[in-house]
Order: sequence, then structure tokens, then C-alpha cells
Amino acid sequence: MNRTRRRLSRMAMFVVLCLVVVVMLFPFYFMTLTSFRSYDQYLAGSGFSLDSWAVLFDTIPVLRELFNSTVVTVGAVLIILAVSTTGGFAFAKLGYPGSAVIFLLLLAGMMVPVQSIIIPEYVNVSGFGLINQFQGAILVYAALGAPFATYLMTTYYRGISNELIEASLMDGASYLQIFMKVMLPLSVPAIVTVAVLQFIQIWDDLLIGLLFLQTPEVRTITVGLATLQSSRMVNIPALMAGSLVSALPAIIVYLVFQRHLVRGLTMGMGK
Amino acid sequence: MDLAGTTERAAVGQTEPLRRHRGGRPMGGRRRAGFVFSLPVILLVAGLLVLPIGQTFYYSLTSWDGITSTWVGLDNYRQLFSDSTFWQVLANNGILLASIPLAILIPLLVAFLLNERVLGWRFFRSVYFLPTAISWVVIGMVAIRFFASEGILNNVLRTIGLGSVHTDLLSGEFSAMIAVIITFIWSVFGTNTIIFITGMATLDREVYEAARVDGAGAWSIFFFVTIPMLMRFIQFAFILTLITAFTALFSLIFIMTQGGPGFATTTLEFFVFEKAFNNGVFGLAAAIGVVLFAIVFAIWIVQFRILRSRTD
Repeated sequence: MNRTRRRLSRMAMFVVLCLVVVVMLFPFYFMTLTSFRSYDQYLAGSGFSLDSWAVLFDTIPVLRELFNSTVVTVGAVLIILAVSTTGGFAFAKLGYPGSAVIFLLLLAGMMVPVQSIIIPEYVNVSGFGLINQFQGAILVYAALGAPFATYLMTTYYRGISNELIEASLMDGASYLQIFMKVMLPLSVPAIVTVAVLQFIQIWDDLLIGLLFLQTPEVRTITVGLATLQSSRMVNIPALMAGSLVSALPAIIVYLVFQRHLVRGLTMGMGK
Repeated sequence: MDLAGTTERAAVGQTEPLRRHRGGRPMGGRRRAGFVFSLPVILLVAGLLVLPIGQTFYYSLTSWDGITSTWVGLDNYRQLFSDSTFWQVLANNGILLASIPLAILIPLLVAFLLNERVLGWRFFRSVYFLPTAISWVVIGMVAIRFFASEGILNNVLRTIGLGSVHTDLLSGEFSAMIAVIITFIWSVFGTNTIIFITGMATLDREVYEAARVDGAGAWSIFFFVTIPMLMRFIQFAFILTLITAFTALFSLIFIMTQGGPGFATTTLEFFVFEKAFNNGVFGLAAAIGVVLFAIVFAIWIVQFRILRSRTD
């Protein structure tokens, strides 16, 4: 009796969890299905066609925008990795007078909402002539991601034993050598986590791209898509094809590096 | 991604200094190396985060068109606080805040089920987390089609025989906000679920067994065992969700509603953009940016206080 009840309740749980799967996956199903219909087929509610993909590629330079997104995202992630690994090493292992206060201020940088700095940022960057230049957007993204990344790297480096470093020092290694040959290889998991988190966040961002990369030649795919939407384009299947294209790279990164994302979250919790 | 819960721990967590070895380098070398190694991140953050936040404070006290600014003291703030639209926008942020318990409770319940390790729970977990990879732009694009008058929601209603309940959420003032909130809850569902599963994995299963032996049902276990023991994680998720709601919904609103109808879905962060880049009143927009910063900062401070009182 009790066992049947137990089994029934587990069945019920399974059904509920499956329903949640439907809710979570539905947008992907809808995007895919709709994108493979022409506009007329979409209105009719059946059929298969590559028309909308053709429309999408005719309307916006998809490949160019994917390329732009890649340049901006990879550029910013590389800078973030460079400054967060060196910074993390310094804050975790090479304290100097005032470094603790600086680290705290850096953490406070995580609390600054983008919207609160965006106007002067825009004016400053345009003062350097870097609006519509990849460098401008890359630097802004790097600065926005750096505090959290540095925090994660610092936390990680704190867990690495001092004896390793001391032993290398005894052997006459310089701090740069220790960083390159001891710290970096040991922190590959944390580096991957930071890279994946930042990649997804920057790839998916709209605001910075919208303001700092306005011309079609430098536009990212996310901005290109938003422009389509706000130009009142009515071809919904083409819009869905665009959504799918823009989402795909981040989804692939997610599927490959899922574990690292979860770890990023738990590292953020300080576990 | 922001972190919320335990910056404090990192902040107070002591860095154990390297011991100075006999025959090792003098301390000066280590300090100098530390300074040099931390310089890149300091310069980057100082130049592109700290400087602009300072400028925002300064320019909020000026009348500014992006090129020339004239000092006006607190005029922008006076104008802001006497503007009924500002209060409406603030109220919209209040509505977002009020929706957060739902964005916590639903993932909590689902995590509770997942934690029973039913068949396929790993698969469920990764599907639930998938939206974290999707941009707000894409989410918004689908959401429009979902809530539209000839959209998916109405199709579903018709299919299940509720065709008479025709919805058009995006064109009503209050209902547009509801649509944004539903989309928001959908988006943060995965992250919060993962946080709670992580939390539940740290709980001692014996406590559950003991409760069960004492005859507690699933509901009472959920409310009287799981929730109290997960408070730290619930708090973390709450702050994370709140910060997301106040500072990360720009793109979603931009795509779904453009802040409308009227100002019905304009939140503080969208208001900054609107005032600056659509109306060109940069000084006033900076003042709104300061208000937003103050609110977010206050949330973090409260969070630290709570954490500290709990660890003491």
C-alpha cells in the first residue's frame, strides 16, 4: 500500500517535471519550427520552406554580424582573462599595503549598474573617437566583466597552497615565471569558468552594442536582431530564424561547458 | 553575472601572506610584484567604471547635453521628484520587486522535486538552466509572439476550449507589466533552480528521513525543514533576482514593449536610456542613474548586514 503510494507520487513528480521541460523548451521549438516556414506558410500554420532563411540573409548581413560579435566577445573575454588572472594572483598571494582596500573597491565595482555609468562612458569613449570601433565596445565590456572575474580568480588562487610558490621562489623563479608556470596551469578550471560566463554574457548583450557599435559594418548579431525588430519587420519566420542564429553560438558554448557555468554560480556563492 | 551572497566572506577572508623564506627575496620584491600584477585590472576598472560613476554624480548636478554642462545644483533632482512619471517608473520597479517571491517559490518547489532524484533529473536540470544562455533580445522576440493578440497563448487557450478568454496582454497598461514579469520569471527560473538544488545537496538527508519517520508529509517537510535550512541560498537567489530585475531587464523591455504602453513598463534603468538617448537631457538622466545606483547599493548593504548578523 505504502509502496504503491510512493511509486504514484514519484510518477506525479516526473509528470510535473516533464511539463516544466515543455514550458522551458517551447520557445526553442517555436523558433525552429517557425523559421522553417515561409511567411504564408506561417500564417497558414503548416508547411516547410527555407524562404525565411533566405529573407533573413537578404535583409541583414548575418555572417558579417556574427563575425563582429565574435571579434567583440573574444576580444573582451581575452582582456578579462588577462587582467583577472594577474589581478587575482596579486590579491590572493602578493598582498601589498592597500591591496585589501583596493580589492574591496573592486568588489564594489560589481554593484554599479551599467545604466548608472552609461552616459559619461559614452561621452568619454566618443571623446577618444572609439564609437563604432571594436576597441571601444571591447574595453567597456572588459571593464564591466573584470570585477566579478577578478573576484572569482582571487577566490580560486586563495585555495592554492603557498608552499608551491615558496618552493619556486627558493629555486630562484621570478614572480612572472611563477605566474606563468605554476599559477596559470593550476587555474585552468577557473579560467574556463570565467571565460564561459563572460562569453555568454557579452555575446547576449544589447545595450553596449546598441550605443557603441551603431553602424551596420560593426553591428553585432544581437544588435542586428534588435534593429530588425524595432524596424517593425513583420516577417515573423525571418525574425525567428535570426533569433535562432544569434542564440546558437551561446547555446553551443552552454551545452559544452555547462558544468563550468554551474561552478561559476556556486563559486559566486563562495562555496 | 553578479554575485550577491558572499562577497563579504571574500572581503573579510584573509589572504594568508607568503612567508618570507631564509634566502628568499626581500618582502619589497613581493609587494612590488603584487602592485605590478594588479595594475592592469585597477587601471581598467578605475578608467571605465569608477571614473564614469563619479562623472554621473557630477553631471547629475548640471544641465548637460553631452558637450557643455552648466552647474544647476539639485535642480535635476527637484525636477525628477516633482515629475509624476518618475513616481510611476519607481512604482514599476516596486511591482517588479513584488513579483520576486514568485520567481523564488516556483524554482524552490521544482528544485524540491528534482532533489528526489526521479528518473532523468540530470536531463531536467540542464534543460531548466538552458535559458541562461539565451539573450534577453531573443527571449523578448519569442515573448512578443507568445503574448500577441494572434499569438501562441491565445492559440493554446483556444485549443483547450477557453477560446472565449481572449488575451492581449501587451496592449494593456497593467497587463503589459504582467507579461514582462512572466517572461522575467521564466528567464530566471533555471538559475534559481540550480542555486536551490546546490543548496539542497548540502543538506543532511538524515534530517529528511527523521522528519519522514516522525510522520511529516511532503508539504510540511518542504515548509518546515527545507525552506528554513535553505535560508542562506534563498537570500542569495533573492538578491541575485532583484539585481537582475532592476539592472538587467533593459533589453527585454526594449524589445517587448519599448517601455509602454505609455510608461507602464518603464523601469528606472529604461528611464535613464529614454531620458538620455531619446530626449537628450543627459543631466536629468544622470540623476536617474544616481537614484538607481543608490537603490542597488542600498540592497547590497542590507544584504551584507543580514549576512553578518547571521554569521555572528
